[in-house]
Amino acid sequence: MRIERSSEWKEGFLERLENRKEWDNWTLYQMCYDMERAKVIPEFHGLQSPKHLPNLTPYAHQLEAAETVIERMNGKAILADEVGLGKTIEAGLVLKEYLIRGLVKKALILAPASLTNQWIAELNQKFHIPAIAYNKKYNLDHCPIVVTSIDMAKRSPHKEMIYQQEFDLVIIDEAHKLKNPKTKNYEFVQQLKKKFCLLLTATPIQNDVFELFNLISLLKPGHLGNLETFQSVFSASKHHVEEDEFLKELIQQVMVRNIRHETGIEWTNRLVQIMPLDFTEQERAVYSMISKLPVSDSFTLLTLQREMCSSQLAAVLTLEKLHQATIQPEVRFQIEEILLKLTELDIHSKAKKALELIQKVNDKVIIFTEYRATQAYLQAVLHAKGITSVLFNGKFSKNKREWMKQLFQGNAQVLIATESGSEGINLQFCHHVINYDLPWNPMKLEQRIGRVHRLGQTEDVHIYNLAVQQSVEDKMVELLERKIGVFEKVVGELDHILTDGKRSIS
Amino acid sequence: MRQQEIHQYIQRFFHENKCRVLDESYDHMTVQLTIDMDKRIMNRPYYWSYVESGGVEPNPAKLTLITNPSQFSASLAGERIHFGSPRLHQLFQVTKEQGAFVQMYEKPGQNQATQVTLTPWLGVNYKITYSSDRTKEMLYSLGMNLMNGAVIDGFQESVRKLDLAPSVSANTYYLPYNIPPMRALNRLEEVMENVVNQDDHTWVDEAKQRQVRDLRVLDYFYTGVEDVPESYAMEKKAIEEQYETTIRIEIINGGLFYLKTALL
Repeated sequence: MRIERSSEWKEGFLERLENRKEWDNWTLYQMCYDMERAKVIPEFHGLQSPKHLPNLTPYAHQLEAAETVIERMNGKAILADEVGLGKTIEAGLVLKEYLIRGLVKKALILAPASLTNQWIAELNQKFHIPAIAYNKKYNLDHCPIVVTSIDMAKRSPHKEMIYQQEFDLVIIDEAHKLKNPKTKNYEFVQQLKKKFCLLLTATPIQNDVFELFNLISLLKPGHLGNLETFQSVFSASKHHVEEDEFLKELIQQVMVRNIRHETGIEWTNRLVQIMPLDFTEQERAVYSMISKLPVSDSFTLLTLQREMCSSQLAAVLTLEKLHQATIQPEVRFQIEEILLKLTELDIHSKAKKALELIQKVNDKVIIFTEYRATQAYLQAVLHAKGITSVLFNGKFSKNKREWMKQLFQGNAQVLIATESGSEGINLQFCHHVINYDLPWNPMKLEQRIGRVHRLGQTEDVHIYNLAVQQSVEDKMVELLERKIGVFEKVVGELDHILTDGKRSIS
Repeated sequence: MRQQEIHQYIQRFFHENKCRVLDESYDHMTVQLTIDMDKRIMNRPYYWSYVESGGVEPNPAKLTLITNPSQFSASLAGERIHFGSPRLHQLFQVTKEQGAFVQMYEKPGQNQATQVTLTPWLGVNYKITYSSDRTKEMLYSLGMNLMNGAVIDGFQESVRKLDLAPSVSANTYYLPYNIPPMRALNRLEEVMENVVNQDDHTWVDEAKQRQVRDLRVLDYFYTGVEDVPESYAMEKKAIEEQYETTIRIEIINGGLFYLKTALL
């Protein structure tokens, strides 16, 4: 094997021997050696950064993930740990390692707006990395580590300012939002100049393997051929992906995924129960009336059915809108009739079920619902029974989120959150989650549960999935199972989000 | 390096470079750069060519460095320094340039009545780097006795403990070397090569295997594609570069040492 060496030092040494140049300073000579010793990478494996971070004690799986990204993936990776395993820590370790090795000088971190401050705080406090929030008044040439949101970054004039920079590393949190290549977000990230890139998402596949294609294409443009060839290879065998070692191999080249129970950490149990419930006769009648509405748009109908499974109030709002938009008198009449029937209903069966659960549990509970109307409805129902609750949604400002969290931790028994509220809040002090409505996407369910069942949880976590029997929710449970199936084949086992006894439901 | 060590390092660095510390606390340090240091680290050649051509009074910069991480998010004006920050890398680099060659004489020590004879040594600090998609580095500090050709490892650690000065002390004299330093240097280089040659190099084959595997996956996604796009060639090249194996021997620094202490 050829050995590279440089004759530069030799020449300098000769110049000194011949008295053509001055000798150097002994203190600086020793400092130089000490500095090289501090920087040395003594093994092919292992990170240097932990040595320089005395206040951080990463978990083994986090160190391993950062190592894999650097050693095996050349800094282009999807960090796809399950929710709550510390992807931020892994990304921080990678960033720190590259900074130490001098391979990264400029880095950009793109996170949801609600999480940017958390990123800045963690990088500064845990990693001693002086990250700052993007501000268009700053000259980016002088800001080595910048944190901002994609929503901000993709707009003018920020976009242009950011495009002028060449980043050594770009980190994108919640990267599942980039799975659609036709969006502005995707295009923006695609055009960033970046040497290394980390995509963080607990849910790299939500619906099909092509989402993975899009993510990998951001990391390694052209690695998968083009979408057409990729599709022709995988479309036909969509249901046999497990047979395809190449896809698995590829995934191993770009994706790190830690599974909760493989981390070697003592996890508390996750106890999932499906709680089937029945409509009352009156509710069933309204549900049938809704299902028979001659609505041309099947999506609206589906929404109405789902809303009816959630609360009267949720359905009322959509029905009223529909009523306004409808011209045919007989349909208008049908809608009016439904609206009337809705007002006559007693407490919604599902709300009653949730109420019973909360009273039985007699502890802090988080309820996730898909609808704002249901959120308000549930608060009213709980209030009538003397149960205190706070609301939570994604539109809240950072301060308000923090305040609500504190209220929940201190005074209120129940936190009622909508879907958009489920990212970026950590509520380990709570041990009960009610999925009041089921989402279409299994990963959303995982995101919800991850608010509670994450590092730092000391007790078993109880999850209750409410589903109305003989309604659209049956189908949703079935669909969720199928999607989990695709995901498991491609990415690996998914913790039980539904339940082992899920077949028994129909 | 811990933050405290970094603080100390910077302090020593500027002290040795005659840059005055204007203000200092546990959290930070403000230094007045000398003209020379400003030129080296502030990256403003236009300013300096302007000053030098126009006869303007030179005004070298003041630099404030914040070394305590708990102050990083505070609104203190100054550069945040951590192990890994570009500024620290730059200071390392300058240190490297300024601490590459020395000629040192051991002091005779107090109450030394008789005359002291110093033996000449060549000391060289080496770094060996194995790199593929992964990296491994090893430091060797070799010293050769220029009278008898004996070679020792751990030279730097040995001389670090000695009391050395850049010029020869009174009542001391040193032996002229038998082995010319440049020849000794070639000999030490052979020693390093031997170390490399006798090392275990399974890492080369392992990197090769990983490369083959990655290339196979890449090719798989292009099988049957007639019009292979440019991106294929780019990806292929990237993979080849990523796994390319190299061995590098570099000299960190070195010099002539005249010692009374016997190191063998």
